[in-house]
Amino acid sequence: MLGALGDWVAIDLGRIEGLATDQASLKAAAGLAKPGKWSGVGGSADGALIWGECAGSGANPYRVMADLRDLGNKCTCPSRKFPCKHVLALLWLNAEAVVTFAPEDIPAWVSDWLGRRRGTSAAPVGAAAKPASDAPKDLRAAQRAEPEAPEDPKAAARREASAAKRSEDTERAILDSLDALEQWIGDQLRMGLAAFIDDATARCRRIAARLVDGKAAALAGRIDELPARLLGQPAGDRPRAAVVELGKLVLLARAFRAAPRDADIRRAVASSENRETVLASSDTVRVTGLWEVLAEQVQTRRDGLVSQATWLLNLGSQGPRFAMLLDYFPASAGRRTSAFTPGERFSGEVAFFPGRNPLRGLLLQRAAEGADTQDWPEAARDLAEALTAPLHAEPWILDIPVLLPPGRVARDAAGQGWWRPADATMALPLAEGVEGLIRGTELTRAAALWSGNRLAILAAQTPWGRIGADG
Amino acid sequence: MAEAIHDALGQVLARWTMGSTAAPVAPVWKAEIGEDPIEAELRLLALSGQFLGMAVIAEPPADLRALPDLPALALPTLPDAARPLARRVLAKGDARHKRSLAQFAAGRGWTLHPADWMPAASEEDAPDVYAPWRDWSEAAATGSGSKRGGSDGLTAANWEDFWPAARNAALAELRHRDPEAARVLLETRLPGEGADTRLRLLGQLTQGLSDADAPFLETVAAGDRAPKVKALAASLLARLGRGPAVGEETTELAGFFTLGTKGLLRRSRTVAANVLKTHAQRIRRQTLFAGADYTGFAAAMGMSGEELAAIWQWGDDVLADIELAGMAGRSASDAIVAELCTALTEHSLPNLGALLALASRIGPTQRASIAQRVLRAGGSYQDALVIADAGGRVEGVTDVPAEAALLHALGSADARPGDHAAELQALGMLASRAGAQKALERLVRGAGLLQADPRLDMLRLNAALEDRGVQG
Repeated sequence: MLGALGDWVAIDLGRIEGLATDQASLKAAAGLAKPGKWSGVGGSADGALIWGECAGSGANPYRVMADLRDLGNKCTCPSRKFPCKHVLALLWLNAEAVVTFAPEDIPAWVSDWLGRRRGTSAAPVGAAAKPASDAPKDLRAAQRAEPEAPEDPKAAARREASAAKRSEDTERAILDSLDALEQWIGDQLRMGLAAFIDDATARCRRIAARLVDGKAAALAGRIDELPARLLGQPAGDRPRAAVVELGKLVLLARAFRAAPRDADIRRAVASSENRETVLASSDTVRVTGLWEVLAEQVQTRRDGLVSQATWLLNLGSQGPRFAMLLDYFPASAGRRTSAFTPGERFSGEVAFFPGRNPLRGLLLQRAAEGADTQDWPEAARDLAEALTAPLHAEPWILDIPVLLPPGRVARDAAGQGWWRPADATMALPLAEGVEGLIRGTELTRAAALWSGNRLAILAAQTPWGRIGADG
Repeated sequence: MAEAIHDALGQVLARWTMGSTAAPVAPVWKAEIGEDPIEAELRLLALSGQFLGMAVIAEPPADLRALPDLPALALPTLPDAARPLARRVLAKGDARHKRSLAQFAAGRGWTLHPADWMPAASEEDAPDVYAPWRDWSEAAATGSGSKRGGSDGLTAANWEDFWPAARNAALAELRHRDPEAARVLLETRLPGEGADTRLRLLGQLTQGLSDADAPFLETVAAGDRAPKVKALAASLLARLGRGPAVGEETTELAGFFTLGTKGLLRRSRTVAANVLKTHAQRIRRQTLFAGADYTGFAAAMGMSGEELAAIWQWGDDVLADIELAGMAGRSASDAIVAELCTALTEHSLPNLGALLALASRIGPTQRASIAQRVLRAGGSYQDALVIADAGGRVEGVTDVPAEAALLHALGSADARPGDHAAELQALGMLASRAGAQKALERLVRGAGLLQADPRLDMLRLNAALEDRGVQG
């Protein structure tokens, strides 16, 4: 049975058992093989391909796809198991016809995967790879609910006490590491910012390592990337940029001391809440509406992680104007399939991490949007205010998303690009890399990130249609 | 207050840059930073950073200049629905591949969207329809904001008003419409241009070449400063049958061939390449071909150019075929080139090197027709594409040996996902829209390829793209 799909190959549960690396994977897949966990499920008209999106712990649902001809598969989750539980769950949904895999146009992300696949594509299922493990695996056993052991009140109390102790230790460690950070900042001033700029990479690495030991992982990651931000500036601007960067670190350290349990501040210093915590919080803002994908920024960080930030524009009138979906995965996991295509629009619900300026979010569900003609919203009336207001609430933040009014790109004699509004009342210097069409057309609206001294355009509306930063 | 802070920050930054304490030079924040020297520096850092990050934005220079709007082209950009596929095709290749797609689209009456592809100023192989974008790129690269070029036709008076690519395109259009006027214009403006530009402009005379151009070409061949320009003028004269008299070297070249006869009742002449015994002989013959003109060579063989084209024995000596075709492509008349092409493609599997040497001299329709013959003769899609040059208008791409080979290979049990991508890409660039639709259907049904297989992207783009019947 293949749901609504064609006549390619039927997949049986035995094949899924054989494909799983271990019984634990099957157990985890059993928990995901439920219609409520999935969206965007579909298949190719010939029944050879199936795909779907499964909510995971990341900011984006994972994109899962499989080729039923040879059980080749791919998932965007960072799991090192192959296949992961999401793939097994997708196959399971298909094998047992738990959901209907309606024939649809094959999405670009599935086509992209097909193009990168290695190994045989047309080999019959019977000739597919042998099971990943010889250990006995059983789907039916995976489906059985484990009997829950009765709660031991004493054990629960011990766990709570232990958690409180851990939290206290963590806070103490962070405060100690912030002391070290401030001392380090003072040292940089004493030794001179010129020397700091010349040796920023090594110096920042050392203090970042100290911060990692002191449980201030988020701050460590930020400081690890500080040299790249600094050296991305023209040489003449670097002392000023160093003052801004280091000044923000002082502010953040002081803010943590004043309010160590504040969610915004803790996220900037230690770590982010997990998905469950965000969803459970009463302060979480949830916005359901129409979203446009502005751009995706993928950056390999010095700590070996790749950050994948997807910027969304809220086309509706309710809720924050922008959302940023941020995921991390190890660089060693290889290139990761993009979750979105710039310019793509979808209806969906975003849950924002609680904060003063809600920006980072989790995409809870989405559905492809049909042909819509909704324009981008109006730009901020007071641009100067839009560029600085978030800093009043969180003076340590690095990038401020902003919707710009009509304007265009201009250049000075040195070739530096500037964005200038149509009324030419101001001009903002552009980050490097503005090439092509975007330099030769009116930007009727532009979405950009303001870093305090450089503007990075993410996307723009123009007489040529919507274009990206490299358009 | 803000002004006082701003004034003080210059000194503060200077001191920190050198490693001195800065609190003493920031009295404006004395109360906020306190007396403790270490704490004061940190507080001053926090305040200064906040002030610089919020209140100080680089002052725009007075000389800010915006580039002119990217001009609209004479052909519309691809429909939105086709752009994702075009982007995927573009992402797979180098600059040459991208130009091929631009040429394919122009052949169908479309241009690529400037957010997806724009030619660099130096991309002379880009279709003429993109000339305004090439000039815009040059203006952007040189920092020139001025707008040149007009809607009026090209004349000697407004010659300088055109950017180079637009001027070249305008000259081509003028030559097509009024060959005499184009030549007269060149007579006036050519001497003032650089050697590379002269070479490019003179090349425009290949279109509609006639005896009326001969006096001008003789002047250039005799008096131009650049050897390449002189050589081009000489080869154009040779196409008009006004090559140099048969000299020693042409006679020597003729000596590499033997004239014979065949047939008992109706005896006809034949020409056969002598067997070359040494590498030195091969090099010598190649050198002589490169310096000779077609009519002169035929004369040295004791016959007319038409007779040589008729009796040349294609296939006996592959290298000689290529060398003769190269010489003819450079110096034979259009009629002779057409005759040679016809004769060449009548062979079971035409010599592609020889065909390629002649292909630039024939029109797109004839090229498409020859490409079709190449396919019927057992050539691959990539072979045919070399001849047709991304025309996207070749009929009869199915039911040819190349298709059978492709279906067999793709449908075999050991086929891999990346197999035959180049051949499928060539098929996509080559086929007419109807041909692409038919080929697509057969590949999906016959070889079991998925519609979404990325190797079919070009074919799918072709099949989806309306032929507007306009040549770009």
